[in-house]
Amino acid sequence: MNRILKEGIGLFFLTVVFAACPLLAQKNKPAKIKAAALQVEMIQSDEIKLPAEFQVALYENLIRQLEKNGFSHVYRDGDRNAASVADLVVLHSTVRGFKAGSERARQVTTVSGATSITVHCQFTSPEGTSLLEHYVNGKVRFFGGNLKATYDFAKKAAHVANENFSTPSRE
Amino acid sequence: MTSRTTIVLVGVASLCAGLVIPVANAQRASSPVKVVQLTGLVGVKDNAKGTLSVENGQLHFVHGKASSDVSASSIQDVVTAADSQRAVGGPIGLMSMAAPYGGGRVLSLFRTKIETLTVLYRDADGGLHGAIFTMPVGTADGIKKELVAQGAHTTATGDSTPATTPSSSPNKEQKQ
Repeated sequence: MNRILKEGIGLFFLTVVFAACPLLAQKNKPAKIKAAALQVEMIQSDEIKLPAEFQVALYENLIRQLEKNGFSHVYRDGDRNAASVADLVVLHSTVRGFKAGSERARQVTTVSGATSITVHCQFTSPEGTSLLEHYVNGKVRFFGGNLKATYDFAKKAAHVANENFSTPSRE
Repeated sequence: MTSRTTIVLVGVASLCAGLVIPVANAQRASSPVKVVQLTGLVGVKDNAKGTLSVENGQLHFVHGKASSDVSASSIQDVVTAADSQRAVGGPIGLMSMAAPYGGGRVLSLFRTKIETLTVLYRDADGGLHGAIFTMPVGTADGIKKELVAQGAHTTATGDSTPATTPSSSPNKEQKQ
């Protein structure tokens, strides 16, 4: 009986420790960076040869996903209205890896033909000070056209922005 | 003497006609091409089917009763490329994947060739937009030429990559 009680107490403490870990981790999480608005620069791919439609789809999907994730003010590359915004964060994206893949190979073999894109995302202040850097992947493994990888990238990049930046509209 | 004068007159008339006809053709609106707008036009849903034409210095996309225009002078870059898509697509194509004995996979082998037209343009505030269209083979170059003739800029000369990047070689992994 005593042994059961001891084991029960041990189990209880173990549960408390495991439950407390995520809570502590959340407490230690760095504070979100304040961003009144985001400006998305055109996707660069100086070193990697990337088809034009991929470059444009990355850019357009990224803007759309950021808007969906609660960034009420997302400015495009070259937008003059962004110049007067305080706490503006500029997102520079550079393609670092690209595998075109093949939709036909995916559908016929299931295991081969995946399309993947690796993009280096750098969030900076308007003056160019780096605030956050992250590598984000976009993939399409089974279903869909090759351009679906750009949608996957955009969703993940918007998630990164959402995790690290706070906007007045979401506070 | 009269014969020689007639020949000279006919020659001059032919020369004038040769000079005037190309100008008239350039000003004429292109015939609309059936396209699918994959993404990028403001106020138009993704994968919207419609017709695309170039008229009066505008890239004109008509989808149902709605239409969208992009001024040719605001276009920063126009790029065409060759591509392909499933001959049997959409929900039927997806359902065919469940066909027994790999029937769906066999269907995946049948693909139709298409062309893509990628357009980069700026709005009134200077914001950069990109629109992608797919269209039947042999039509993208015509639209590109018309756009360039009416004031659009292009940096790509025949390859499929815009201003900042050189051309691509598909199915080849490029990692840093």
